[in-house]
Amino acid sequence: MTPTFEEAQAELEQIVARLERGDVGVDELTTLWERGEELYRLCAAKLQGVQGKIEELSRSAQAADESG
Amino acid sequence: MKVEASETDDGRKIYSVRGFNNGVARWLGKLPTLWIEGEVTELRRQERWQSVFFTLKDPDGGATLAVQMPRGQFDALELGLEEGEVVHVFGRAELYEQRGELRLKALTIERFGLGAHLAALERLKKKLAAEGLFAAGRKRPLPRYPRLIGLVTGNDAAAKRDVLTHIVQRFPPANVVVAETYVQGTRAPAAIATAIGDLCRRGADVIVLARGGGSFEDLLPFSDERVVRAVARCAVPVVSAVGHEQDVPLCDLAADVRASTPTAAARLVVPDIVELRGRLLRSREGLHRGARRAAERHAERLATLHERLQRAPLLALERRRARLDTAHARLIALSPSATLERGYAIVRRGDAVVRAPSDVAPGDALEVRVAEGSFGARVE
Repeated sequence: MTPTFEEAQAELEQIVARLERGDVGVDELTTLWERGEELYRLCAAKLQGVQGKIEELSRSAQAADESG
Repeated sequence: MKVEASETDDGRKIYSVRGFNNGVARWLGKLPTLWIEGEVTELRRQERWQSVFFTLKDPDGGATLAVQMPRGQFDALELGLEEGEVVHVFGRAELYEQRGELRLKALTIERFGLGAHLAALERLKKKLAAEGLFAAGRKRPLPRYPRLIGLVTGNDAAAKRDVLTHIVQRFPPANVVVAETYVQGTRAPAAIATAIGDLCRRGADVIVLARGGGSFEDLLPFSDERVVRAVARCAVPVVSAVGHEQDVPLCDLAADVRASTPTAAARLVVPDIVELRGRLLRSREGLHRGARRAAERHAERLATLHERLQRAPLLALERRRARLDTAHARLIALSPSATLERGYAIVRRGDAVVRAPSDVAPGDALEVRVAEGSFGARVE
């Protein structure tokens, strides 16, 4: 099951914090980083979808006003 | 003026009709001015007449009396008299000389019982106020968007048209149910009270009582105890728009809101659709703006997070490397070659490192290791 935007972002924040604290084994580093990138892509895609939807709705509302 | 009279040969004194009438008229003129009570009948008033005429009659159907009053004075009283009303007329006896008819010249007319009406009204007002019917705490707010407006009004009243027109103008989708009823006269109070109850049962969520201006008597039904109680008891808010600004019938006091005119009542019960539409549009703009802003904030936060994510592994690696370098440096520091570089030498006899003079004897062969290499030596 894909996590929600909030879940994904929370996990991403945790990963970044751990990496920044530096208490990560070198072997684990790549795994964590890859997971972080994956979460980022997930969040970004969701966000872009929402922003697109907002613009679309706003445009169609305006169009309805002008035609009505 | 002297009364015209002639005298016959045998001494009889003869008066002309005019002379006689004039004499009686003058005699009547000496009678005092007084108040007379009676019912108004046969009221005759025309613009082209100088005077207004009516007949005053005792209520039990007995005596009658012709009354005359200059039209200007009569109109100034603004009584709006109707047939059968009981009045008090202040006037004096007068003879219409042309026809020898006795009549009463009215100086002023008062509706009988105006004072009594007022006193009764005042008593009722005190009583209902004591019961708390007019209390500010009882006033309910009007619904913002009424589902069904109940309108109590006369069947051809201008007030009805005023209220309806303004309601529909302000808020075209408004639903109005009209209860046409008597709004003046003795049947009005019960009819109005019933109409209020009916409209409640038909699902009105606000009720407007509308009646245009009128005389004190015209508006009396709206001060009737039955109407006032019906208004107070009404399950939904009531707007009272009765009479003009200066009239305060008791139903105004019991109503939840008082409107000075029917037009004002319309403004109170429905919202202005133009304003409403504007507010709705502004709300939607706010919605779009808010959604965009929220999405942008999320995007910014995510971008920052991503930057940190990209920097973090390198930082972590660098920190590791730095630790490695430190360890390495310490390793190097511990290796003997660094010591040899500084000019120290390692002396061995065979495999053993020489640490004390007693470790060697004269003639022993030794191996000396310095930074650049090794050479042999012998003990003296």
